[in-house]
Amino acid sequence: MYKLTGVTKLYQKGRRTVPAVRDLDLVIEDGEWLAVQGRTGHGKSTLLNLLGGLDRPTEGTVELDGINLGALRETQLTRVRAESIGFIFQTFNLIPTLSAAENVEAALIPLSITAAARRARIAAALESVGLADRAAHLPSEMSGGQQQRTAIARALVKEPTVLLADEPTGNLDEDTRDDIIALLERLWRDRGLTLVLVTHDTSVARRAQRAGVMSKGHLTIKQDNRPGPRPESHAVTAAHDPAT
Amino acid sequence: MFFVTYLRRELRRRMRQAIFVALGLAVGIGLVVTVSAASAGVKKAEASVLSSLYGVGTDVTVTGSAPQPGKPTAGGQTPKGGTQISGSPSGATICQDGKCENAAGKTISSLVPEYLPIKSAEVADVARLHDVLAAAGGLLLTENTITFPKNFGQSGGSAPPTPNTLSVDGVDTGHAALGPLSNASLTSGHSFTAAESDADVAIVDSGYATSGNLKVGSTITIDSVKFTVIGIVRQPQSTSPPDVYIPLEVAQALKTGPLGVETGDVNTIYVTATSAADIPAVQHEITKLLPHDTVTTAASLASEVTGSVASAAKLANDLGKWLAVLVLIAAFALASLLTMSAVARRVGEFGTLKAIGWRTRQIVVQVLGESVAMGVVGAVVGVGLGFAGAAIISKVAPKLSALIPGAGGGGTFQSQSVNGGPVSRTIGGSPDRTIPVPLHPSITVGVILLAVLLAVAGGLVAGLFGSWRIAKLRPADALSRVA
Repeated sequence: MYKLTGVTKLYQKGRRTVPAVRDLDLVIEDGEWLAVQGRTGHGKSTLLNLLGGLDRPTEGTVELDGINLGALRETQLTRVRAESIGFIFQTFNLIPTLSAAENVEAALIPLSITAAARRARIAAALESVGLADRAAHLPSEMSGGQQQRTAIARALVKEPTVLLADEPTGNLDEDTRDDIIALLERLWRDRGLTLVLVTHDTSVARRAQRAGVMSKGHLTIKQDNRPGPRPESHAVTAAHDPAT
Repeated sequence: MFFVTYLRRELRRRMRQAIFVALGLAVGIGLVVTVSAASAGVKKAEASVLSSLYGVGTDVTVTGSAPQPGKPTAGGQTPKGGTQISGSPSGATICQDGKCENAAGKTISSLVPEYLPIKSAEVADVARLHDVLAAAGGLLLTENTITFPKNFGQSGGSAPPTPNTLSVDGVDTGHAALGPLSNASLTSGHSFTAAESDADVAIVDSGYATSGNLKVGSTITIDSVKFTVIGIVRQPQSTSPPDVYIPLEVAQALKTGPLGVETGDVNTIYVTATSAADIPAVQHEITKLLPHDTVTTAASLASEVTGSVASAAKLANDLGKWLAVLVLIAAFALASLLTMSAVARRVGEFGTLKAIGWRTRQIVVQVLGESVAMGVVGAVVGVGLGFAGAAIISKVAPKLSALIPGAGGGGTFQSQSVNGGPVSRTIGGSPDRTIPVPLHPSITVGVILLAVLLAVAGGLVAGLFGSWRIAKLRPADALSRVA
């Protein structure tokens, strides 16, 4: 479970200080799917970076399962990323010289796993995204959808509890987008993942349990389809949309 | 396995850049190897000159002071044992020990030591010094023979004749491993035996034997004493050896003019130190013990050797060394810049690796691995280039020569031309010698190891620059650049 309290992230651009995220309070339950929308430059990716331990807040705390990520040393933070958090990027970010299987294997390098276990996990991960027959292909030999599937396999091969996706369908056509979102939804359900997905696409956001919009560093929850009663504290947002 | 696969694929992707970096390092390494090989060849040539001058096993040589040319004594008298030749309109006159006679048609000979004498007790003193393993005396002599034409000294007569010189070395037969014969190879006959220490026997140099048509059993005359040739030796090619070797005791008994030696005197001491590290100390101790004599080591003698071998050594040590250093620096800088540039282009890749949990150290090892691999390729190619460079030098390098200063002094003759201006001729001592020295560049295992180390260091330096950039890389920044 994520718990963000009073999180502010400021960037220095020359002499100007630019707030990317402002005074954000947010709780994301284990196994929840949260979609974040918003215009470019309004803090979506910054929020994702803070959740993934790629960046530290200027103020406030980001806690994952009770651990304050901002207080961890870099090596500890790297360990959290290696074991618990999977990333998916808009541009896939596959290593162009490595095959699909080797790209997936790259995620297992920081973990102490035997070669046999590693091979089994890679095969299972590629199988789960429907790319068992493409294991030896280089990214340049695959379509955009296949590359994103490879990236998803790389994110999931280490069996994380959290999956952070930054516009994963931004570079894909509609059909492929639907395939990828369907795949993510299936994996989210099957594995009980906590999924935070940044997207510009409203149709994608609608499929999430909760969806919010980032605007000028504030997150406003627009949709909440989570089942059952929710404790008040778990529905905290930085700024509530007056319309909801 | 993953490390190797990733490294190999990445180098293949950047093939042109990798080749460029490896070639840059290879040129630098090749130059280092070539210069080292040439330098080693020159050093070897120098060493061969020095060892032949010294003899194997000799670390320090002590020689008596160089004798000054003989001068007429006050009142125009000739020094005792000296010879003065004077010219007048009626002919030339030789004055020797106060007796004067017409020089025309006469043949005179004189045996002179090349250096002033050293007492035999001093050889023993040197042998007793701390750090001295062994010491042996030697007596270097020169016999000058001059024949005056019948019309010498007359108006319109012949020019002053050129003397024939025979260099004679008295060797301590009890110390065969020390001194001038230690480096020689016997081509026929036998070397001195203990029983021959006081016999009139001689070993002659092969060059002198050829020119004088001498064989084992032939006889030669030195200072009116007949010697039987018992052996013929060949000294290393780069030397200008004495013509004749005779037992030290016999040499000491010969008449040696006004600078003559007394019984037991020597004018050279060959010294072996207990270890190479002790040579400077031994040199210092002997200098303190014999302040008026000249103490030389291979190092000090090397500074006196001139000629093209010295110029080549200077060229290899100065220009060659600095050129190699400059090219290496340029190659290191090029490799570093290209690695930095490659890292800059791969910021997104490294950011992604950090995002998926790679530690900075793991990424740095990967980048260093790539750089070191380029360095190793550079080393292999560079060593090959070095061998090629050494082969080219061996083929095209001009023949070297070493100019070895003579012992100087020792004159006992003076002549004066009949036409006026005084012409002084110094006979005795040894003249400067020019020795041809073959240059064979040699590449040692040490040089190859150095080359590999340098290339790997070049790769490491380049990789470290890249690694520094990676270490500073924040994953969020790196990923935002990709976006």
